[in-house]
Amino acid sequence: MKSIAVSSVVIALLVLGGCSSKEVVLDTETTEAITSSTVQEVKAVETETVTAEESIVNSNTNSLSHMSMSDIESELSTVYFDFDKFSISSKAESKITKAAELGKTGASAYNLKLEGNCDEWGSDEYNFALGLKRASSVKKALVAEGIDASRISMVSYGESNPVCEDKTQDCYSKNRRVDFKLLP
Amino acid sequence: MKILFSLMLLFGLTLAGDATIEVIKKVDALPSIGIEDASISYNDTFKLQFFKTLVADLNVISLFNVDRFHRTTHYNATDVVVENKDMNYVLRYKMFEDDSGALNIDMKIIQNDTAMFSKSYKVNRKNIYMFVSHAIAYDVNEFMGEPSVLWMKRKVIFSRIVGPKKSEIVISDYSLSYQHVILKAGFNIFPKWANKAQNAFYYTSLDGAQPTLKHVNIKTLKVSSVISSDGMMICSDVSRDGKTLLLTMAKKGQPDIYTYNVASKKYKRETTYGGIDVNAQFMDKNRIVFISSRLGYPNVFSKRLDTKEIEQMVYYGRSNSACSSNGEYIVYKARETSNAFEYNTFNLHLISLKTDFIRRLTVSGVNEFPRFSGDGDAILFIKNYKNQSSIGIIRLNYNKNYLFPLKYGKVQSMDW
Repeated sequence: MKSIAVSSVVIALLVLGGCSSKEVVLDTETTEAITSSTVQEVKAVETETVTAEESIVNSNTNSLSHMSMSDIESELSTVYFDFDKFSISSKAESKITKAAELGKTGASAYNLKLEGNCDEWGSDEYNFALGLKRASSVKKALVAEGIDASRISMVSYGESNPVCEDKTQDCYSKNRRVDFKLLP
Repeated sequence: MKILFSLMLLFGLTLAGDATIEVIKKVDALPSIGIEDASISYNDTFKLQFFKTLVADLNVISLFNVDRFHRTTHYNATDVVVENKDMNYVLRYKMFEDDSGALNIDMKIIQNDTAMFSKSYKVNRKNIYMFVSHAIAYDVNEFMGEPSVLWMKRKVIFSRIVGPKKSEIVISDYSLSYQHVILKAGFNIFPKWANKAQNAFYYTSLDGAQPTLKHVNIKTLKVSSVISSDGMMICSDVSRDGKTLLLTMAKKGQPDIYTYNVASKKYKRETTYGGIDVNAQFMDKNRIVFISSRLGYPNVFSKRLDTKEIEQMVYYGRSNSACSSNGEYIVYKARETSNAFEYNTFNLHLISLKTDFIRRLTVSGVNEFPRFSGDGDAILFIKNYKNQSSIGIIRLNYNKNYLFPLKYGKVQSMDW
């Protein structure tokens, strides 16, 4: 793999040496330079250079047109719930609609994991089930918005995954939530 | 002032038949026991530590008024120390370290200047001294001819959260004073003993793609996967013979109770309600109790495994979200206040299938994880009150609760 990488870099340097950094220009010059030498050799080189180029493109230019997984994840905002409830509030509906839109566009290549969480009031199985029912409510809403159910998995963490550990009401309400996570 | 005094006297007399006053009388009527330390090894700190543990254990067996003064003497002294002259019983013990570094303890019970019972104990390391203390209390209870307190010798397994999505599984003695971390890395919760011998346990791993039930053999430390489910997977109970598990799984995002046959690896869905069904416990081979939200709030229900018949068990409490059962008795956790903006009180209550009587077992704080001992003699639970967590032991037949403060972290789940 290393030798492939090295040789592709060397070839790329030889073939492309001195050209401008604009992609389109790069591509055409590559083909031109390659076709000018023997056909068989060129084909073999092309398959190698494509893999090397692909990795470069991903890290440099593609991020402008496509968001990375973590970027999309940060766009998906957490849904919060009332004390002892797993029904979705009207406030949360817009968040789910936005998440569904992202799920159909930018995040269409990924699967979605819904993580249900609870406040510390109750550290038993019922609390875990409550976390799961919260995740399940969000799943149903997403499916209603047109997301394929097979793309969505769920897990409940009960009260074991708090984002805030103070003994305040504000803090408890931050923990009663469903987080969105993307899975490749 | 005289009027007030006579009123109080009158009030006191009218209450004389009250059950609580009766209990106080009973406490006074218990025989007294003094403890004498005749240790020849170890420093004062360790000596006092052992003494405190022994006092606690002797209190828990609920047979004595235990004297709390640490008296020292010689093991073979013919007389008890002068302060213990009037005690009904004196327990004298001697701790000594042998050449291999093991902790040896000789113990005898003295009544009327005569040794009535004696026994020797030995453990390889002194840091597990609490097991000797529990064994002494167990033997004293046997000597007194009382119903067995075998549960004192049993181990407790519990999980504690050490950070977001990080937990430890710990094995300890019943008072949680000895703690051995058996599973450290990862996010592993809901441990449950796999058999009566306590040489294996189940737990839920949340590290993989799906919540997975795993089985650990403690001797070989072999970990094997049992079954997975999307959303949720908890082993709520293990049958007495260890052959059937009661699981809460959420195959389609819907938490329901399943029975799982360990040998055939086949499972069967036992509840089909569209809300929450969790926390199933065997009452006997064919009957379970569980927590369900089918009334709009969590409450205790029972079901026969061979029929579809479901029965509501509890008619008191606004939110009864956890339970444990032993034969005809059910202990459940009830939320006594329902306030999203304040500290809520959760108490434990006991019901019997044979009577309509409800007994409140705790009075303050958040009381959770009730677990019956195998013989139904005691209930273990966790109490959180005023920023202090304790492990509690309820002796049902003696109407007494004992609390041992916990030093570390928040308990996530516990099995006895």
